[in-house]
Amino acid sequence: MITFDKVFKRYPGNMDALQNINLEILPAELVFVTGPSGAGKSTLLKLISSVEKPTSGTIVFENKNLSQLKTRDIPYLRRKFGMIFQDHKLLYDRNCFENVSLPLAINDIDGIDINRRVRAALDKVGLLNKEKIMPISLSGGEQQRLAIARAIVSRPSILIADEPTGNLDREYADEIMNIFYSFQQVGVTVIISTHELPITPIKHKKIHLINGELKDHTNYVQLLS
Amino acid sequence: MFNYFHNHFQAFQRALTRIFSNLSSSLMMFIVIGVTLFLPSSGLLIIENISQISNNIAYDAELSLFLKKDVKQDQINFIESALNKTTIIKKTHFESKLIAWDKLQNKLNLSPLDIGISQNPLPDAFFISLNTFDQKKINSLIDNLKTIDGVENIFFDSGWVKKLRSILYLLKIGLVFLGIILIIILIVVIGNTIRLQTLTHKDEIEVSKLIGATNSFIKRPFIYAGLIYGLGGGLITISTLKLTIEIFNKAAINLEAILGGAFILNNLIWQQNLVILLISMLIGSFASFFAAQQSIKKFEKFQ
Repeated sequence: MITFDKVFKRYPGNMDALQNINLEILPAELVFVTGPSGAGKSTLLKLISSVEKPTSGTIVFENKNLSQLKTRDIPYLRRKFGMIFQDHKLLYDRNCFENVSLPLAINDIDGIDINRRVRAALDKVGLLNKEKIMPISLSGGEQQRLAIARAIVSRPSILIADEPTGNLDREYADEIMNIFYSFQQVGVTVIISTHELPITPIKHKKIHLINGELKDHTNYVQLLS
Repeated sequence: MFNYFHNHFQAFQRALTRIFSNLSSSLMMFIVIGVTLFLPSSGLLIIENISQISNNIAYDAELSLFLKKDVKQDQINFIESALNKTTIIKKTHFESKLIAWDKLQNKLNLSPLDIGISQNPLPDAFFISLNTFDQKKINSLIDNLKTIDGVENIFFDSGWVKKLRSILYLLKIGLVFLGIILIIILIVVIGNTIRLQTLTHKDEIEVSKLIGATNSFIKRPFIYAGLIYGLGGGLITISTLKLTIEIFNKAAINLEAILGGAFILNNLIWQQNLVILLISMLIGSFASFFAAQQSIKKFEKFQ
Protein backbone atom coordinates (compact mmCIF):
# COMPACT_ATOMS: atom_id res chain seq x y z
CA MET A 1 0.00 0.00 0.00
CA ILE A 2 2.75 2.46 0.99
CA THR A 3 6.38 1.81 0.09
CA PHE A 4 9.45 3.87 1.00
CA ASP A 5 12.51 3.22 -1.13
CA LYS A 6 15.82 4.88 -0.17
CA VAL A 7 14.03 7.98 1.07
CA PHE A 8 16.03 10.94 2.35
CA LYS A 9 14.58 14.18 3.68
CA ARG A 10 16.72 17.21 4.42
CA TYR A 11 15.38 20.58 5.57
CA PRO A 12 17.33 23.67 4.48
CA GLY A 13 20.31 24.28 6.75
CA ASN A 14 19.72 21.09 8.74
CA MET A 15 21.11 17.62 8.79
CA ASP A 16 19.07 14.84 7.22
CA ALA A 17 15.73 14.54 9.04
CA LEU A 18 15.36 11.10 7.47
CA GLN A 19 18.12 8.95 5.98
CA ASN A 20 17.80 6.02 3.65
CA ILE A 21 14.37 4.88 4.78
CA ASN A 22 13.14 1.62 3.25
CA LEU A 23 9.84 0.24 4.48
CA GLU A 24 6.47 -1.08 3.46
CA ILE A 25 3.06 -0.60 5.03
CA LEU A 26 0.35 -3.06 4.04
CA PRO A 27 -3.44 -2.50 3.92
CA ALA A 28 -5.24 -2.72 7.27
CA GLU A 29 -2.01 -2.73 9.25
CA LEU A 30 -1.62 -1.08 12.61
CA VAL A 31 1.72 0.72 12.48
CA PHE A 32 3.51 2.47 15.31
CA VAL A 33 6.24 4.93 14.39
CA THR A 34 8.35 5.26 17.53
CA GLY A 35 11.46 7.11 18.60
CA PRO A 36 12.62 10.04 20.73
CA SER A 37 11.94 13.70 19.91
CA GLY A 38 13.68 14.79 16.71
CA ALA A 39 13.96 11.21 15.45
CA GLY A 40 11.95 12.06 12.29
CA LYS A 41 8.56 10.55 13.20
CA SER A 42 6.52 13.59 12.19
CA THR A 43 8.59 14.02 9.02
CA LEU A 44 7.82 10.42 8.05
CA LEU A 45 4.09 11.02 8.48
CA LYS A 46 4.32 14.31 6.57
CA LEU A 47 5.98 12.49 3.68
CA ILE A 48 3.18 9.92 3.56
CA SER A 49 0.50 12.61 3.43
CA SER A 50 2.50 14.74 0.96
CA VAL A 51 2.74 17.67 3.36
CA GLU A 52 6.46 17.40 2.59
CA LYS A 53 8.27 15.98 -0.42
CA PRO A 54 11.33 13.73 -0.06
CA THR A 55 14.73 15.17 -0.96
CA SER A 56 15.52 11.90 -2.72
CA GLY A 57 14.11 8.40 -3.02
CA THR A 58 10.62 7.20 -3.88
CA ILE A 59 7.43 6.91 -1.89
CA VAL A 60 4.77 4.88 -3.64
CA PHE A 61 1.13 4.96 -2.57
CA GLU A 62 -1.50 3.08 -4.59
CA ASN A 63 1.00 2.76 -7.47
CA LYS A 64 1.64 6.52 -7.52
CA ASN A 65 5.06 8.02 -6.87
CA LEU A 66 4.31 10.73 -4.31
CA SER A 67 7.60 12.55 -4.92
CA GLN A 68 6.47 13.23 -8.49
CA LEU A 69 2.93 14.16 -7.60
CA LYS A 70 1.77 17.46 -9.13
CA THR A 71 0.83 20.21 -6.68
CA ARG A 72 -2.75 20.31 -7.99
CA ASP A 73 -3.18 16.57 -7.26
CA ILE A 74 -2.04 16.77 -3.63
CA PRO A 75 -5.44 17.84 -2.17
CA TYR A 76 -7.11 14.79 -3.78
CA LEU A 77 -4.43 12.51 -2.31
CA ARG A 78 -4.90 13.99 1.17
CA ARG A 79 -8.62 13.24 1.02
CA LYS A 80 -7.70 9.56 1.14
CA PHE A 81 -6.13 10.05 4.56
CA GLY A 82 -7.66 10.84 7.90
CA MET A 83 -5.16 13.04 9.73
CA ILE A 84 -4.95 13.57 13.47
CA PHE A 85 -2.48 15.97 15.07
CA GLN A 86 -1.04 16.26 18.56
CA ASP A 87 -2.41 19.83 18.85
CA HIS A 88 -5.78 18.66 17.40
CA LYS A 89 -5.88 21.55 14.89
CA LEU A 90 -9.56 22.14 15.61
CA LEU A 91 -11.35 25.31 14.55
CA TYR A 92 -12.30 27.02 17.78
CA ASP A 93 -14.78 29.42 16.16
CA ARG A 94 -16.93 26.51 14.96
CA ASN A 95 -18.92 24.01 17.00
CA CYS A 96 -18.20 20.27 17.10
CA PHE A 97 -20.63 19.49 14.29
CA GLU A 98 -19.10 22.14 12.00
CA ASN A 99 -15.58 20.96 12.76
CA VAL A 100 -16.42 17.39 11.82
CA SER A 101 -18.37 18.40 8.71
CA LEU A 102 -15.41 20.33 7.22
CA PRO A 103 -13.89 17.36 5.31
CA LEU A 104 -17.32 16.51 3.87
CA ALA A 105 -17.79 20.06 2.61
CA ILE A 106 -14.35 19.82 1.02
CA ASN A 107 -15.37 16.51 -0.58
CA ASP A 108 -18.52 18.09 -2.11
CA ILE A 109 -20.88 15.89 -0.09
CA ASP A 110 -24.44 17.18 0.10
CA GLY A 111 -26.28 18.44 3.15
CA ILE A 112 -28.44 15.43 4.09
CA ASP A 113 -25.51 13.05 3.85
CA ILE A 114 -23.38 15.46 5.89
CA ASN A 115 -25.84 15.38 8.82
CA ARG A 116 -26.00 11.59 8.80
CA ARG A 117 -22.26 11.04 8.53
CA VAL A 118 -21.21 13.72 11.02
CA ARG A 119 -23.57 12.28 13.64
CA ALA A 120 -22.28 8.77 12.95
CA ALA A 121 -18.67 9.93 13.39
CA LEU A 122 -19.48 11.85 16.58
CA ASP A 123 -21.35 8.80 17.88
CA LYS A 124 -18.34 6.61 17.16
CA VAL A 125 -16.12 8.76 19.39
CA GLY A 126 -18.81 9.29 22.03
CA LEU A 127 -19.48 12.99 21.37
CA LEU A 128 -22.91 12.82 19.78
CA ASN A 129 -24.49 14.73 22.65
CA LYS A 130 -21.96 17.56 22.24
CA GLU A 131 -22.44 18.43 18.58
CA LYS A 132 -23.49 22.04 19.27
CA ILE A 133 -20.73 22.68 21.80
CA MET A 134 -17.68 24.75 20.92
CA PRO A 135 -14.40 22.74 21.09
CA ILE A 136 -12.86 25.10 23.64
CA SER A 137 -15.26 23.80 26.30
CA LEU A 138 -14.20 20.17 25.72
CA SER A 139 -11.48 18.41 27.74
CA GLY A 140 -8.16 17.51 26.09
CA GLY A 141 -9.25 13.91 25.54
CA GLU A 142 -12.60 15.02 24.09
CA GLN A 143 -10.87 17.45 21.76
CA GLN A 144 -8.68 14.65 20.48
CA ARG A 145 -11.76 12.44 20.02
CA LEU A 146 -13.36 15.28 18.08
CA ALA A 147 -10.24 15.44 15.89
CA ILE A 148 -10.59 11.68 15.31
CA ALA A 149 -14.25 12.13 14.36
CA ARG A 150 -13.17 14.74 11.80
CA ALA A 151 -10.52 12.35 10.47
CA ILE A 152 -12.89 9.40 10.04
CA VAL A 153 -16.00 11.20 8.80
CA SER A 154 -14.95 10.94 5.15
CA ARG A 155 -14.26 7.20 5.61
CA PRO A 156 -10.56 7.24 4.71
CA SER A 157 -8.67 4.03 4.05
CA ILE A 158 -5.70 5.28 6.09
CA LEU A 159 -5.62 7.05 9.45
CA ILE A 160 -2.45 8.98 10.26
CA ALA A 161 -2.06 10.19 13.83
CA ASP A 162 0.92 12.29 14.90
CA GLU A 163 1.44 11.73 18.64
CA PRO A 164 -2.31 11.69 19.32
CA THR A 165 -1.90 10.91 23.01
CA GLY A 166 1.13 13.13 23.63
CA ASN A 167 -0.72 15.65 25.79
CA LEU A 168 -3.14 13.23 27.46
CA ASP A 169 -3.04 11.34 30.73
CA ARG A 170 -2.97 7.54 30.73
CA GLU A 171 -6.72 6.99 30.99
CA TYR A 172 -7.55 9.33 28.09
CA ALA A 173 -4.61 7.96 26.08
CA ASP A 174 -5.90 4.38 26.41
CA GLU A 175 -9.36 5.54 25.40
CA ILE A 176 -7.99 7.19 22.25
CA MET A 177 -5.84 4.14 21.39
CA ASN A 178 -8.85 1.85 21.73
CA ILE A 179 -10.70 4.00 19.19
CA PHE A 180 -7.79 3.58 16.76
CA TYR A 181 -7.70 -0.19 17.32
CA SER A 182 -11.41 -0.39 16.54
CA PHE A 183 -10.82 1.25 13.17
CA GLN A 184 -7.94 -1.07 12.37
CA GLN A 185 -10.21 -4.01 13.16
CA VAL A 186 -12.61 -2.93 10.39
CA GLY A 187 -9.87 -2.74 7.77
CA VAL A 188 -8.50 0.79 8.09
CA THR A 189 -4.72 1.18 7.93
CA VAL A 190 -3.72 3.06 11.08
CA ILE A 191 -0.32 4.76 11.36
CA ILE A 192 0.44 6.29 14.75
CA SER A 193 3.59 8.11 15.78
CA THR A 194 4.42 7.93 19.47
CA HIS A 195 7.40 8.32 21.82
CA GLU A 196 6.96 4.86 23.25
CA LEU A 197 5.31 1.76 21.91
CA PRO A 198 2.04 1.29 23.82
CA ILE A 199 1.12 -2.08 25.25
CA THR A 200 -1.40 -3.41 22.81
CA PRO A 201 -3.15 -6.73 22.34
CA ILE A 202 -3.32 -6.16 18.60
CA LYS A 203 -1.00 -7.32 15.85
CA HIS A 204 1.04 -4.37 14.75
CA LYS A 205 4.14 -3.17 12.97
CA LYS A 206 6.81 -1.11 14.69
CA ILE A 207 8.92 1.42 12.84
CA HIS A 208 11.59 2.70 15.21
CA LEU A 209 13.55 5.82 14.24
CA ILE A 210 16.62 7.38 15.85
CA ASN A 211 18.21 10.53 14.39
CA GLY A 212 16.38 10.01 11.13
CA GLU A 213 17.55 6.45 10.65
CA LEU A 214 15.37 3.37 10.66
CA LYS A 215 16.64 1.24 13.53
CA ASP A 216 13.91 -1.32 13.76
CA HIS A 217 11.26 -2.39 11.26
CA THR A 218 9.58 -5.30 12.94
CA ASN A 219 6.69 -6.98 11.22
CA TYR A 220 3.64 -8.19 13.03
CA VAL A 221 4.72 -8.28 16.59
CA GLN A 222 2.00 -9.67 18.81
CA LEU A 223 2.02 -8.52 22.36
CA LEU A 224 -0.51 -9.57 24.88
CA SER A 225 -1.38 -7.25 27.66
CA MET B 1 -23.26 19.35 -10.33
CA PHE B 2 -25.70 19.97 -7.47
CA ASN B 3 -22.87 19.50 -4.97
CA TYR B 4 -20.72 21.99 -6.89
CA PHE B 5 -23.41 24.68 -6.63
CA HIS B 6 -24.12 23.68 -3.04
CA ASN B 7 -20.43 24.22 -2.32
CA HIS B 8 -20.55 27.68 -3.94
CA PHE B 9 -23.66 28.51 -1.97
CA GLN B 10 -21.92 27.49 1.26
CA ALA B 11 -18.89 29.63 0.35
CA PHE B 12 -21.24 32.56 -0.31
CA GLN B 13 -22.90 31.98 3.06
CA ARG B 14 -19.50 31.90 4.78
CA ALA B 15 -18.58 35.18 3.06
CA LEU B 16 -21.84 36.77 4.21
CA THR B 17 -21.26 35.51 7.77
CA ARG B 18 -17.77 37.02 7.77
CA ILE B 19 -19.09 40.36 6.45
CA PHE B 20 -21.91 40.49 9.02
CA SER B 21 -19.63 39.46 11.87
CA ASN B 22 -17.50 42.54 11.05
CA LEU B 23 -20.33 44.81 10.05
CA SER B 24 -18.74 48.15 10.94
CA SER B 25 -15.54 47.53 8.98
CA SER B 26 -17.58 46.03 6.12
CA LEU B 27 -19.70 49.20 5.98
CA MET B 28 -16.51 51.26 5.93
CA MET B 29 -15.33 49.17 2.99
CA PHE B 30 -18.64 49.74 1.15
CA ILE B 31 -18.27 53.50 1.68
CA VAL B 32 -14.62 53.54 0.57
CA ILE B 33 -15.49 51.70 -2.65
CA GLY B 34 -18.64 53.75 -3.18
CA VAL B 35 -16.95 57.13 -2.76
CA THR B 36 -13.88 56.15 -4.78
CA LEU B 37 -16.02 55.03 -7.72
CA PHE B 38 -18.27 58.08 -7.33
CA LEU B 39 -15.45 60.44 -8.35
CA PRO B 40 -14.82 59.18 -11.91
CA SER B 41 -18.50 58.20 -12.40
CA SER B 42 -19.79 61.68 -11.54
CA GLY B 43 -17.10 63.26 -13.74
CA LEU B 44 -18.13 61.11 -16.68
CA LEU B 45 -21.81 61.82 -16.01
CA ILE B 46 -21.24 65.58 -16.10
CA ILE B 47 -19.12 65.36 -19.25
CA GLU B 48 -21.73 63.15 -20.95
CA ASN B 49 -24.40 65.72 -20.13
CA ILE B 50 -22.31 68.65 -21.40
CA SER B 51 -21.52 66.63 -24.56
CA GLN B 52 -25.23 66.20 -25.19
CA ILE B 53 -25.78 69.92 -24.79
CA SER B 54 -22.91 70.65 -27.19
CA ASN B 55 -24.36 68.16 -29.68
CA ASN B 56 -27.71 69.92 -29.62
CA ILE B 57 -26.04 73.27 -30.15
CA ALA B 58 -23.95 71.93 -33.00
CA TYR B 59 -27.06 71.00 -34.97
CA ASP B 60 -28.01 74.67 -35.10
CA ALA B 61 -24.59 75.74 -36.34
CA GLU B 62 -24.38 77.58 -39.60
CA LEU B 63 -21.95 78.85 -42.14
CA SER B 64 -22.50 82.50 -42.90
CA LEU B 65 -21.54 83.41 -46.43
CA PHE B 66 -21.37 87.16 -47.12
CA LEU B 67 -21.31 88.34 -50.69
CA LYS B 68 -19.53 91.32 -52.23
CA LYS B 69 -21.56 94.52 -52.30
CA ASP B 70 -21.48 94.79 -56.08
CA VAL B 71 -22.62 91.21 -56.69
CA LYS B 72 -25.14 90.75 -59.46
CA GLN B 73 -28.34 88.70 -59.37
CA ASP B 74 -26.88 86.20 -61.89
CA GLN B 75 -24.01 85.52 -59.55
CA ILE B 76 -26.35 85.14 -56.59
CA ASN B 77 -28.39 82.60 -58.55
CA PHE B 78 -25.22 80.76 -59.54
CA ILE B 79 -24.01 80.62 -55.91
CA GLU B 80 -27.42 79.41 -54.71
CA SER B 81 -27.52 76.61 -57.27
CA ALA B 82 -23.92 75.66 -56.37
CA LEU B 83 -24.84 75.53 -52.68
CA ASN B 84 -27.92 73.41 -53.36
CA LYS B 85 -25.78 70.87 -55.19
CA THR B 86 -23.37 70.44 -52.28
CA THR B 87 -24.11 67.26 -50.34
CA ILE B 88 -22.96 68.36 -46.87
CA ILE B 89 -25.33 71.34 -46.91
CA LYS B 90 -28.66 70.64 -45.27
CA LYS B 91 -30.42 73.85 -46.19
CA THR B 92 -29.64 77.38 -47.29
CA HIS B 93 -31.36 80.60 -46.57
CA PHE B 94 -30.68 83.71 -48.62
CA GLU B 95 -31.08 87.07 -47.00
CA SER B 96 -30.80 90.06 -49.29
CA LYS B 97 -29.01 93.18 -48.11
CA LEU B 98 -32.26 95.18 -48.27
CA ILE B 99 -34.15 92.82 -45.97
CA ALA B 100 -31.17 92.64 -43.63
CA TRP B 101 -30.95 96.42 -43.51
CA ASP B 102 -34.67 96.72 -42.79
CA LYS B 103 -34.42 94.14 -40.03
CA LEU B 104 -31.49 95.93 -38.44
CA GLN B 105 -33.22 99.28 -38.51
CA ASN B 106 -36.39 97.81 -37.03
CA LYS B 107 -34.45 96.02 -34.35
CA LEU B 108 -32.50 99.11 -33.34
CA ASN B 109 -35.48 101.36 -33.95
CA LEU B 110 -33.35 103.74 -36.03
CA SER B 111 -33.62 105.53 -39.33
CA PRO B 112 -30.63 106.06 -41.68
CA LEU B 113 -30.77 109.73 -40.90
CA ASP B 114 -30.30 109.08 -37.22
CA ILE B 115 -26.96 107.38 -37.74
CA GLY B 116 -25.88 109.48 -40.69
CA ILE B 117 -25.65 106.66 -43.21
CA SER B 118 -27.13 107.24 -46.62
CA GLN B 119 -26.20 103.82 -48.11
CA ASN B 120 -27.02 100.29 -46.97
CA PRO B 121 -23.81 99.02 -45.32
CA LEU B 122 -24.89 95.35 -45.23
CA PRO B 123 -24.07 92.76 -47.90
CA ASP B 124 -26.26 89.99 -49.34
CA ALA B 125 -25.76 86.77 -47.40
CA PHE B 126 -26.48 83.05 -47.41
CA PHE B 127 -27.00 81.26 -44.08
CA ILE B 128 -26.13 77.62 -44.52
CA SER B 129 -27.01 74.71 -42.21
CA LEU B 130 -24.61 71.79 -42.45
CA ASN B 131 -25.33 68.11 -41.98
CA THR B 132 -21.78 67.23 -40.91
CA PHE B 133 -19.36 68.26 -38.19
CA ASP B 134 -16.31 66.82 -39.83
CA GLN B 135 -13.78 69.64 -39.67
CA LYS B 136 -11.98 68.48 -42.83
CA LYS B 137 -15.17 68.47 -44.90
CA ILE B 138 -16.21 71.87 -43.55
CA ASN B 139 -12.78 73.39 -44.25
CA SER B 140 -12.80 71.99 -47.76
CA LEU B 141 -16.28 73.43 -48.35
CA ILE B 142 -15.16 76.84 -47.06
CA ASP B 143 -12.10 76.72 -49.36
CA ASN B 144 -14.29 75.88 -52.35
CA LEU B 145 -16.83 78.57 -51.56
CA LYS B 146 -14.08 81.19 -51.23
CA THR B 147 -13.06 80.59 -54.84
CA ILE B 148 -16.52 81.48 -56.16
CA ASP B 149 -16.66 84.92 -57.73
CA GLY B 150 -18.74 87.31 -55.66
CA VAL B 151 -18.04 85.72 -52.24
CA GLU B 152 -16.53 88.17 -49.77
CA ASN B 153 -16.37 86.38 -46.42
CA ILE B 154 -17.30 83.08 -44.80
CA PHE B 155 -17.75 82.49 -41.07
CA PHE B 156 -18.12 79.14 -39.41
CA ASP B 157 -20.38 80.01 -36.50
CA SER B 158 -19.97 76.81 -34.46
CA GLY B 159 -16.18 76.90 -34.14
CA TRP B 160 -16.55 77.29 -30.39
CA VAL B 161 -18.56 74.05 -30.24
CA LYS B 162 -15.56 72.29 -31.72
CA LYS B 163 -13.36 73.79 -29.06
CA LEU B 164 -15.78 72.75 -26.34
CA ARG B 165 -15.88 69.23 -27.73
CA SER B 166 -12.09 69.06 -27.80
CA ILE B 167 -11.93 70.20 -24.18
CA LEU B 168 -14.56 67.61 -23.23
CA TYR B 169 -12.60 64.93 -25.06
CA LEU B 170 -9.45 65.87 -23.15
CA LEU B 171 -11.39 65.87 -19.88
CA LYS B 172 -12.75 62.42 -20.72
CA ILE B 173 -9.22 61.11 -21.25
CA GLY B 174 -8.19 62.70 -17.96
CA LEU B 175 -11.11 61.08 -16.19
CA VAL B 176 -10.34 57.68 -17.67
CA PHE B 177 -6.79 57.98 -16.28
CA LEU B 178 -8.15 59.13 -12.93
CA GLY B 179 -10.53 56.15 -13.02
CA ILE B 180 -7.67 53.75 -13.69
CA ILE B 181 -5.64 55.18 -10.79
CA LEU B 182 -8.65 54.97 -8.47
CA ILE B 183 -9.32 51.37 -9.55
CA ILE B 184 -5.71 50.48 -8.69
CA ILE B 185 -6.18 52.14 -5.29
CA LEU B 186 -9.39 50.16 -4.78
CA ILE B 187 -7.67 46.90 -5.69
CA VAL B 188 -4.97 47.64 -3.12
CA VAL B 189 -7.50 48.60 -0.40
CA ILE B 190 -9.82 45.61 -0.98
CA GLY B 191 -6.83 43.30 -1.40
CA ASN B 192 -5.41 44.46 1.91
CA THR B 193 -8.73 43.89 3.69
CA ILE B 194 -8.98 40.38 2.26
CA ARG B 195 -5.34 39.72 3.20
CA LEU B 196 -6.19 40.65 6.80
CA GLN B 197 -9.21 38.32 6.63
CA THR B 198 -7.00 35.47 5.46
CA LEU B 199 -4.74 36.10 8.47
CA THR B 200 -7.79 35.91 10.75
CA HIS B 201 -8.73 32.59 9.13
CA LYS B 202 -5.17 31.27 8.95
CA ASP B 203 -5.94 28.20 11.12
CA GLU B 204 -8.96 27.33 9.02
CA ILE B 205 -6.95 27.64 5.82
CA GLU B 206 -4.12 25.48 7.17
CA VAL B 207 -6.45 22.78 8.49
CA SER B 208 -8.47 22.80 5.29
CA LYS B 209 -5.34 22.36 3.23
CA LEU B 210 -4.15 19.49 5.44
CA ILE B 211 -7.42 17.62 5.01
CA GLY B 212 -7.53 17.98 1.25
CA ALA B 213 -9.08 21.32 0.36
CA THR B 214 -8.08 22.70 -3.02
CA ASN B 215 -6.88 26.29 -3.26
CA SER B 216 -10.02 27.26 -5.16
CA PHE B 217 -12.18 25.85 -2.33
CA ILE B 218 -10.24 27.98 0.18
CA LYS B 219 -10.29 31.10 -2.01
CA ARG B 220 -14.01 30.89 -2.77
CA PRO B 221 -15.42 32.59 0.38
CA PHE B 222 -12.83 35.37 0.10
CA ILE B 223 -13.72 35.98 -3.56
CA TYR B 224 -17.40 36.11 -2.64
CA ALA B 225 -16.55 38.57 0.14
CA GLY B 226 -14.79 40.78 -2.44
CA LEU B 227 -17.78 40.44 -4.75
CA ILE B 228 -20.16 41.53 -1.97
CA TYR B 229 -17.87 44.45 -1.09
CA GLY B 230 -17.98 45.46 -4.76
CA LEU B 231 -21.76 45.11 -4.87
CA GLY B 232 -22.22 47.20 -1.72
CA GLY B 233 -19.77 49.84 -2.94
CA GLY B 234 -21.40 49.96 -6.39
CA LEU B 235 -24.85 50.46 -4.82
CA ILE B 236 -23.47 53.33 -2.74
CA THR B 237 -21.95 54.90 -5.89
CA ILE B 238 -25.29 54.65 -7.75
CA SER B 239 -27.29 56.01 -4.81
CA THR B 240 -24.85 58.88 -4.28
CA LEU B 241 -24.92 59.74 -7.99
CA LYS B 242 -28.72 59.71 -8.01
CA LEU B 243 -28.84 61.90 -4.92
CA THR B 244 -26.29 64.33 -6.40
CA ILE B 245 -28.24 64.59 -9.67
CA GLU B 246 -31.47 65.23 -7.74
CA ILE B 247 -29.90 67.96 -5.61
CA PHE B 248 -28.12 69.52 -8.61
CA ASN B 249 -31.27 69.52 -10.74
CA LYS B 250 -33.36 71.07 -7.96
CA ALA B 251 -30.82 73.87 -7.68
CA ALA B 252 -30.69 74.20 -11.50
CA ILE B 253 -34.49 74.45 -11.72
CA ASN B 254 -34.43 77.29 -9.19
CA LEU B 255 -31.94 79.07 -11.45
CA GLU B 256 -33.81 78.19 -14.65
CA ALA B 257 -34.77 81.80 -15.26
CA ILE B 258 -31.08 82.68 -15.52
CA LEU B 259 -29.67 79.54 -17.12
CA GLY B 260 -32.61 78.72 -19.38
CA GLY B 261 -32.82 75.07 -18.30
CA ALA B 262 -29.61 74.11 -20.08
CA PHE B 263 -28.00 72.64 -16.97
CA ILE B 264 -30.46 69.91 -16.04
CA LEU B 265 -28.51 66.63 -15.63
CA ASN B 266 -30.00 63.46 -17.05
CA ASN B 267 -30.43 60.58 -14.60
CA LEU B 268 -28.49 57.38 -15.20
CA ILE B 269 -30.25 54.76 -17.28
CA TRP B 270 -30.41 51.20 -15.92
CA GLN B 271 -27.67 49.96 -18.28
CA GLN B 272 -25.27 52.57 -16.86
CA ASN B 273 -26.19 51.54 -13.31
CA LEU B 274 -25.55 47.92 -14.26
CA VAL B 275 -22.13 48.79 -15.72
CA ILE B 276 -21.14 50.59 -12.49
CA LEU B 277 -22.26 47.57 -10.43
CA LEU B 278 -20.44 45.10 -12.70
CA ILE B 279 -17.22 47.12 -12.69
CA SER B 280 -17.37 47.45 -8.92
CA MET B 281 -18.03 43.71 -8.40
CA LEU B 282 -15.29 42.84 -10.86
CA ILE B 283 -12.78 45.01 -8.99
CA GLY B 284 -13.84 43.44 -5.66
CA SER B 285 -13.58 39.85 -6.85
CA PHE B 286 -10.30 40.43 -8.72
CA ALA B 287 -8.67 42.12 -5.71
CA SER B 288 -9.82 39.40 -3.31
CA PHE B 289 -8.80 36.59 -5.66
CA PHE B 290 -5.33 38.08 -5.97
CA ALA B 291 -4.98 38.74 -2.20
CA ALA B 292 -6.25 35.27 -1.20
CA GLN B 293 -3.93 33.64 -3.75
CA GLN B 294 -0.91 35.48 -2.32
CA SER B 295 -1.84 34.65 1.27
CA ILE B 296 -2.32 30.94 0.55
CA LYS B 297 1.07 30.83 -1.15
CA LYS B 298 2.64 32.52 1.88
CA PHE B 299 0.98 30.07 4.29
CA GLU B 300 2.17 27.14 2.17
CA LYS B 301 5.74 28.35 2.55
CA PHE B 302 5.54 28.32 6.33
CA GLN B 303 3.48 25.16 6.68
